[in-house]
Amino acid sequence: MQYKGRVILTATVVTALFAGLGTRLAFLHLKPSGNTLARIERARKMELEIRGPRGTVFDCNGHILALDAGTKHICVDPKYISRHGDLQKVLEAFEKHLPLSRTEIWKLLNQPEKQYVRVHCFARDQVVDALQTMKLGRGVIFEDAPVREYPKGVLAAHVIGFANQEGQGSAGIEQRLNTMLQGTPGIRSTLADGRRREIYSGRTVDIPPVPGKNIYLTIDQQIQYFTEKALDNLNEKYKPRGGACAIVQDVRTGKILAMASLPTYNLNRYNITPAEWMRNRAINFVYEPGSTMKAVIIASALDQGIVRQSDVYDCEKGIWYYGGRSLRDSHPEGLLSVADIVKKSSNIGAAKIALQMGDEKVYRSLRDFGFGTITGVGLPGEDAGIVWPVNKWSKISITRLAMGHEVLVSTIQLVAAFSAIANDGKLMKPYIVDRITDEHGKAVKEFTPEMIRTPIKPETAKQMRRLLARVTQSGGTGTGGAVPGYMVAGKTGTAQKVDLKNGGYLKNRYIASFIGFLPVENPAVCIIVVADDPVGAGYGGTVCAPYFKEIAEQAVRYLRIPPEGFPTEYIAPQTAQNFF
Amino acid sequence: MKKKQMRKNHKAEVRIPFPVALTYILIFAAVFGISYVWLCTRCNQLGQDIKELETAQRAVNARWINEQDRWASMRTPANFERTLRRHGLHMHLPDTRQIILVRNADERLSLAYNSRDGRKL
Repeated sequence: MQYKGRVILTATVVTALFAGLGTRLAFLHLKPSGNTLARIERARKMELEIRGPRGTVFDCNGHILALDAGTKHICVDPKYISRHGDLQKVLEAFEKHLPLSRTEIWKLLNQPEKQYVRVHCFARDQVVDALQTMKLGRGVIFEDAPVREYPKGVLAAHVIGFANQEGQGSAGIEQRLNTMLQGTPGIRSTLADGRRREIYSGRTVDIPPVPGKNIYLTIDQQIQYFTEKALDNLNEKYKPRGGACAIVQDVRTGKILAMASLPTYNLNRYNITPAEWMRNRAINFVYEPGSTMKAVIIASALDQGIVRQSDVYDCEKGIWYYGGRSLRDSHPEGLLSVADIVKKSSNIGAAKIALQMGDEKVYRSLRDFGFGTITGVGLPGEDAGIVWPVNKWSKISITRLAMGHEVLVSTIQLVAAFSAIANDGKLMKPYIVDRITDEHGKAVKEFTPEMIRTPIKPETAKQMRRLLARVTQSGGTGTGGAVPGYMVAGKTGTAQKVDLKNGGYLKNRYIASFIGFLPVENPAVCIIVVADDPVGAGYGGTVCAPYFKEIAEQAVRYLRIPPEGFPTEYIAPQTAQNFF
Repeated sequence: MKKKQMRKNHKAEVRIPFPVALTYILIFAAVFGISYVWLCTRCNQLGQDIKELETAQRAVNARWINEQDRWASMRTPANFERTLRRHGLHMHLPDTRQIILVRNADERLSLAYNSRDGRKL
């Protein structure tokens, strides 16, 4: 009986214990008080924002131009390291693999009161792998640190632009399409254990990050490369003080195949690059184009039936007075036909044609060819240039406009205008982004060729192409731009530089240019080369034409353009796919 | 006889039964508790495994991207050229005279011709 009592007592105690534990469990799990719950939640809850990677930028053939690469920050816990006697081991490992001196590393490690010190930022795989295999213990921490990487370095630097360390696009396509490229961060609400490590089963919200969209440019890295190389060669020979730029455009579609600007910079080192070097001269450097503008004026005059190519003008033996001011030709000529005015690039001849057209028509022609408005190529910082309205013109303005003075244009505008002549009078909108895709490669937005207007008729365009072809033939001003085996239409441009300090023009300082397209009968590509203030020479035919030729020769081979061109619609990038 | 009786009594006292209902409750509670703990541990272990796999996937992804980066860098035209030069290979595009264009047979110009002067070969 005595034992029976003890058993009952034991059973009661055990039951009471279990009941107590059960009650507590039920209390905690089912309905804890607000305060307790808040305290527990605070201690255990963890809110994480997971970064969505930025989209990748490709060229037209899928070559990567910009991407988010995975690097790591190498950090240490000096307190842990010194407590566990790992100091010497870590010091030696870091000295071997990091670009830091022993003294620098020692200074960073020898801070036993600290628990977190960043030793090296954005370490590459090789370094991280080497350190990880050395098993340096828990005192060495590797933190994920994605970084925007530009594997091609300087290639198409001004087109691609860069994103800063905060992941904000700050130039070029990176800036223009920043919102598209930026990923959407993911959110994770979860619970942490006592060591603040995530408890997987505690995840209540887990929204994965959405990567940014991928951008496919119309740029072809190969054409871009030899365009930049040609500019480098120009720079080596003529050292243009104001820089240089070049554009290659597909005349049928308006796609920009290459766009280069000098000086250039390495996108991976944008933070040590002077701001001036980041300027894309192809779109935001406006200048008086000089004689290249004659092609536009004469094309309009022919189109409107004001002149015929056989009409003859007196070029006054090189000097002509109009409105009390003299106008000179660098090569004095007497009587010249319209065709020869183009070929010899006579200022006087062009001025007389413009006068025959009248102010309004000249102004309208310039506007119709797209001068004075941005082309909308899809890059930030494009300059519209200046075409003054007729009411602001002086008496001689029309004669100066005909030779490309008193008007400011950008290189991209000139390319678009010449492409219109090449493309049967259709002015196409230049564009540099081909398509935008999501992370699975599905097109989100596709850009298609867009015709703006037709400033001249197809017959006039054909006639003008033939006139421009004579420029690169014997006796023309642009023979240096001739490409063996191909008929090239081109125009030289030599404009005196404006003296911004004292007004007027600077003596012996020019902006030289050469613009052309080929093959003449079925043009495929339009190329322009511009040099701002070259040293030692100034004429577009001397300074720029040879580099136009250098680009054109390679472009026709790379794009497999036959000498007579493509009679049907020409699709540039696909023909060159997998060439390299 | 007295000794034998005493032993008998002792046995009778020990045999007092533990309450059956309570036994079941305790067994159930113990089994439930152990299962709960085991399931918790198992869930945590699985969670841990998933987390490790997530980390591994992130690392592999980062490595893949880095390889893409390296590959893209290697395929830069300037790099090609440097590599060719390093190996003493001087490559250039063929001269116009060296190019022979061949037409499709169904085209009107079916013969090969030299691109420079359009002369049929």
